[in-house]
Amino acid sequence: MRIKKKNQRFHWFMLLPACLFLVVFLLAPLVMMFVLSFRDVDSMMNTLQSYSLSQYLHVFTTDAYVKAIGSTVWVALQTTVICLLMAYPAAYVLVKAPHPRLRAFFYILLVSPLLTSVVIRTFAWIVLLSQNGLINGMLIDLHLIEKPLSMLWNMNAVIIAYVQVMLPFAVLPIATSLTDMDRHLRPASMSLGAGRIRTFFHVTLPLTIPGMITGAIIVFSLAAGSYITPLLVGGRMQPLLPLSIYQQVMQVYNLPLAAAMSFTLLICVLAVVSLLSYLLKRWEARMHA
Amino acid sequence: MSGINLEHISQHFGEQIALDDVSLTVKEGEFFSLLGPSGCGKSTLLNIIGGFLEPTKGVVYIGDQDVTTLPPYQRKTGMVFQSYALFPHLTVFDNVAYGLKVQKKKKAEIKQKVMESLSLVQLESFAKRMPHQLSGGQQQRVAIARALAIQPAVLLLDEPLSNLDAKLRKNMQTELRNIQRNVGITTILVTHDQEEALSLSDRIGILGEGKIQQIGTPLEVYRQPNNRFVAEFIGQVNLFEAEYDEVTSTYTVPHFIQSNGKQVQLKVAAFKEKSEKHLLMLRPERIKLSSVGEEVQPNHVTGVLADVSYIGHSLRLVVGLNQGEIIVHASDAAFPELPQVGETVHIHWQPEDIVFLDSKVHA
Repeated sequence: MRIKKKNQRFHWFMLLPACLFLVVFLLAPLVMMFVLSFRDVDSMMNTLQSYSLSQYLHVFTTDAYVKAIGSTVWVALQTTVICLLMAYPAAYVLVKAPHPRLRAFFYILLVSPLLTSVVIRTFAWIVLLSQNGLINGMLIDLHLIEKPLSMLWNMNAVIIAYVQVMLPFAVLPIATSLTDMDRHLRPASMSLGAGRIRTFFHVTLPLTIPGMITGAIIVFSLAAGSYITPLLVGGRMQPLLPLSIYQQVMQVYNLPLAAAMSFTLLICVLAVVSLLSYLLKRWEARMHA
Repeated sequence: MSGINLEHISQHFGEQIALDDVSLTVKEGEFFSLLGPSGCGKSTLLNIIGGFLEPTKGVVYIGDQDVTTLPPYQRKTGMVFQSYALFPHLTVFDNVAYGLKVQKKKKAEIKQKVMESLSLVQLESFAKRMPHQLSGGQQQRVAIARALAIQPAVLLLDEPLSNLDAKLRKNMQTELRNIQRNVGITTILVTHDQEEALSLSDRIGILGEGKIQQIGTPLEVYRQPNNRFVAEFIGQVNLFEAEYDEVTSTYTVPHFIQSNGKQVQLKVAAFKEKSEKHLLMLRPERIKLSSVGEEVQPNHVTGVLADVSYIGHSLRLVVGLNQGEIIVHASDAAFPELPQVGETVHIHWQPEDIVFLDSKVHA
C-alpha cells in the first residue's frame, strides 16, 4: 500500500511541470482577462479601477457585435459540416488502403500541410482566389467567364480557407473510429442480407459517430477562434468576433471590451462543445458500460 | 434448407496458394466441421462459402444454386463470427431483428420471429439489453439467434467458441449441437479444436496445407486416419516405421524388443501390400501394460519407464524402448500406486490396434 501511495505521489510530481505551465500561461491569463472584462474605461480608453457589466452590455447592445456573434457561430458550423462531409470519404480511403505502406503515405499526405504555417497557406489562397489569381485566370482562358469572379474578401473565401486548414483534424478522429470498428461487423451485416449501402448507414456510420463528434469539436473550436485566416482572405470588415477582438486590442485599444468579447466568444464555443461532448458521452454510454 | 457442394475450389493470394483444388459435399441437415491448424485455409473456405471471397477457381453450390459470384447478402447463409460481431449500438432485440428488417417484414412478424429465435437460445428476457451488458456466452447465443432468425439455408460458424473459457465452451458445444438438431439446419463449423470437432460433428473434413486430407465421421478420422498429417493432428499418436521381413512374412520395428531380447515380430490384422517400409500408428490408449514376462500376448514389448505424468482420469507414461520411446495412456483405475520412473515395464497391444498410414501428406 505504501509503495502504491509513493508511486502515486511520483505520478503527480511528473505532472507538475505541465500543470505549472498551464497555470502560468493559460489559467492565470484567463483569470486576468476575466477580471479585466468587468472594468470600465474612460473616453481615452484608459482602463479604470471600477467594476461593472458595462462592457458586456456594450457587446450585447451593439448590433454589429450581436451580428458578429451570430455569423461567427454560423461560419464555424458551416466549416464543420463541410469538413465532416469531405473528411469521411478521405478517412474511409485512408483506413481501407490495401497496403500498410500506402496507408502510411496517405497519413503523411494528410498531415503534411500542418507542417507549414497557417499564414503561408492562407496567402496561397490569396494567390489562387484573387481577381487576377490562378483560378480566375484559368476560367477566363477557358472562356468560361468574361470578367473575373470576386472570390476573395468574402465569407466564402474564409470558409474555403478554413476547410483546407482544418480538414486533417476532422479526418484523423474519423479514421481512428473506423479503425476501432470490429472488422467482422460489416461482414455480419452483409451475411444478414444487407447490401453495402444499408450496411454503411446502419452499421458503419452510427459506429463512427464518436469520431465525427470529436472531429466536429476540434474543427468548430478552431474555426470559431481563428483570426489570421479571416483577416487575410476575408478582409478586416467581415463581421466575425475574432476580428472585432483583434480591432479592439490593436487599433481601438479598448482592452476591457476586447476581454468581454473574448469571454462571450469563449462561452459560445464552450456551449457548442459541451453540447457535442454530452452527445458523445450519451452515445458511448449506450455502447459501453 | 439445403446442402452445400464445393467443386474444385482453389484460392490464390498472389503467389501463395491458400486452397488447392478442394471438393466436398455437405448433406442437407448435416453438421460438418472443417478442422485444421491455423493457416490451413479453413477460414478462407468458409469465407468463400459465405460469399466474402470469390475463389480463384471452382464452383460453390448451395442447394442447386450456383452462388460462386453472388455477394454475401444474396446468399442464404447465416454466419457466426469468432468475435460474435454483435452490433454494439443496437439492443439484443434489434440485433436479432436486423436481418428481418432488411427483408422488410411486418413489425408484428419481426417481433414474433425475434422472440422465437431468442427463446431457442433461452435469452427471451434479455431482449432489451445492450450487447455489452451480456457475458461472452450470452453474446455468443445472441449471435446464433441473429443468424438463425433470417431462416438461412445454411449456418456457418467461424470458430464461434474459441473466445470462451473451457467450461463454458463445453456447455455451449452441447447447446449448439442441440439447437442445430432442433432446427435441422445444414451447418459448417470451422475450428482448430479437434475435441470440439469430434464431439459435435456428423462428419469432419481435415484441412492441411490447403488440401482436404481426409473426410469422414469422427470415428473414421480418429481410428483410420488416411495419413500421417491426420493421425498427428487428431489426438496423440505413436508412429513407427515398420519393415517387412520376407522370410517370416511379418513386420518388424527396430524399436520393439521382447523381454527375451528378441526382435518383436508384429502381428497385424490387415496386411498392406508387401514390400518396403510402412508407417504404422498406435494410439496411446490402445497400449496395455502387462505383468513381467508375459509373452503369451501378441505384440509384446519391453521397455523402461522414462516419465510419468498424472492427469487425473488417466496416466501418461513415456516408455523408453530399444530406440526412441512410446507414449502410453493408462486409466487411473489400473494403478493403486503410481509406477516409478526407471521400472522395467512390459506393454502389448492387439493386432487390430495397428493402423497403417500413408506416409505422405496429401499435397
